[in-house]
Amino acid sequence: MDLSLIPYALNLAAIYSLMAISISMIWSSIGMLNLAHGATFAVSGYAAWQFSIIFKPIILAFFGKTLLANLLMGLVLISSAMVAGAIFGILIYFLAYLPIHDKPNYPVRSLIITLAINIATIQILLFLFGARNKGLPKIFGFGRFEIFDIPVRYDQAGTIISTILILSIMLSWLKFSRMGIEIRAMMQNPEGASYSGISSRTTAIPVLMITGALAGVSAALLSQTIFVSPTSGSIPLIKGLTIALLGGLGNVPGAMLGAVLIGFLEAVVGSIQQRYVMFSTFIFIIIVLIFRPRGIGGLLDDTRE
Amino acid sequence: MTKILEINKLSAGYGPLRVLHEIDLSLDRGERIGLVGLNGHGKTTLIRAITHMTEWQSGSIKFCGNEIGGTRSFGAGRRTAKLVKMGISVAPQGDAIFPGLTVKQHLNCGAFTKEAWKEKEQRIDKIFEIFPPLKKLEHSLVGKLSGGERRMVSIGRMLMVDAKLYLIDEPTNGLAPKIYSSLLNAIWSLNLNDRSMIIAEQNVNLLSKHVDRIIGIYAGKLRGEVGHVELK
Repeated sequence: MDLSLIPYALNLAAIYSLMAISISMIWSSIGMLNLAHGATFAVSGYAAWQFSIIFKPIILAFFGKTLLANLLMGLVLISSAMVAGAIFGILIYFLAYLPIHDKPNYPVRSLIITLAINIATIQILLFLFGARNKGLPKIFGFGRFEIFDIPVRYDQAGTIISTILILSIMLSWLKFSRMGIEIRAMMQNPEGASYSGISSRTTAIPVLMITGALAGVSAALLSQTIFVSPTSGSIPLIKGLTIALLGGLGNVPGAMLGAVLIGFLEAVVGSIQQRYVMFSTFIFIIIVLIFRPRGIGGLLDDTRE
Repeated sequence: MTKILEINKLSAGYGPLRVLHEIDLSLDRGERIGLVGLNGHGKTTLIRAITHMTEWQSGSIKFCGNEIGGTRSFGAGRRTAKLVKMGISVAPQGDAIFPGLTVKQHLNCGAFTKEAWKEKEQRIDKIFEIFPPLKKLEHSLVGKLSGGERRMVSIGRMLMVDAKLYLIDEPTNGLAPKIYSSLLNAIWSLNLNDRSMIIAEQNVNLLSKHVDRIIGIYAGKLRGEVGHVELK
């Protein structure tokens, strides 16, 4: 096997895990299959692009083409994408959660509303920014280095390290903070959470904001490789959704493991024949779900309900 | 004595199905009530209706003199968190536990009112005094515990809140006699002061010496208010 596939696979895994964890978290905590996550991705990408246009000349004027300028630019891109994603999360809360969360057939209704938000957002972005793709500045620079004789591109290393950093911060916040425990309680047993005084209406806001911010991070990072366009969120959404299913919806470690598996599968199949990538991914997921209907997360779960 | 809970002509159920039929019940401050009935006759539904987990069809409930919800249906579970903050704490049937949290985190979940959160460590120590086996399981995942231990965690979480009214739904359900008798002893030894308690149970004999009143519930209607009730 070509060893250069490893950083490529991990790069894909990093971005997919950000999307899959978000979708999984939203599903298990507030029971919504958020199809507007792709729209959040695209909106965050555009926000990052807009802010990069504003800040690029300022940063260049003050710092020139230095490493510090690159770091600042990265900070602007990621933070603007995160903020835009979080704000879009609040919008989803008001449009697709608050009015219908206690009505009959809420999961199906929210699925349809979030799909509508997704389509409407793509049209609005097309109207505002046109169909031309936008390129984000390369925050990690161009070039490559070698670890154990494996060539790694700067953007791949940057994406993997930033994802690990952001996910560790988020997961430890979920594990130890009061709000994090509230969210986890709601993910594991919404009725029990109500009995503990945890209101699903108030806890849904931070859930949608955090997951929106994660979509923002993945948009800023993936846009180092692909262009920002109104439909740029569609493929990450489908990948995120299927990986969340593969991991066992609602299972965060399962989603991470699923993302790594799919990342490697895509890297290996892609190196043989690019056109079989999507096909093989879905075949793999279907086979896993036939034999393990709860997804691979079920294998990691050592507690009983 | 002031009333802590006044239920007036409460009817509740699931969709078009009516389970509770015009229930009238009042509870004094500091009083313990045993709610006895067979399976499917409305004990759990009454406890769920008090906490708004089951929608009401008509009637009203006053808690500490304030109407909670009136006859308006807010949707199942929508007001429950608010009621818990107002001072109603519940140990529901089937425990409603969080399998992926540790015992300590689980107990912390019970301390989500501001005052309780500030002194959560002292309160957790108190729970460990009431249920000593939990002390050594502090860092174990609740999903790995036995049924009896889970019940202790569930009741412990309920006690973390400084509530005015405790609702316990069938604490002995599915447990061996040896385990549930020690669990019940822990419940009876609680110093309630002016806090009240409703405990739903199928076995009258387990309650008779420990509660102030026993109320029978049959086919969604309250039957009798005596030391012992004869159920059909």
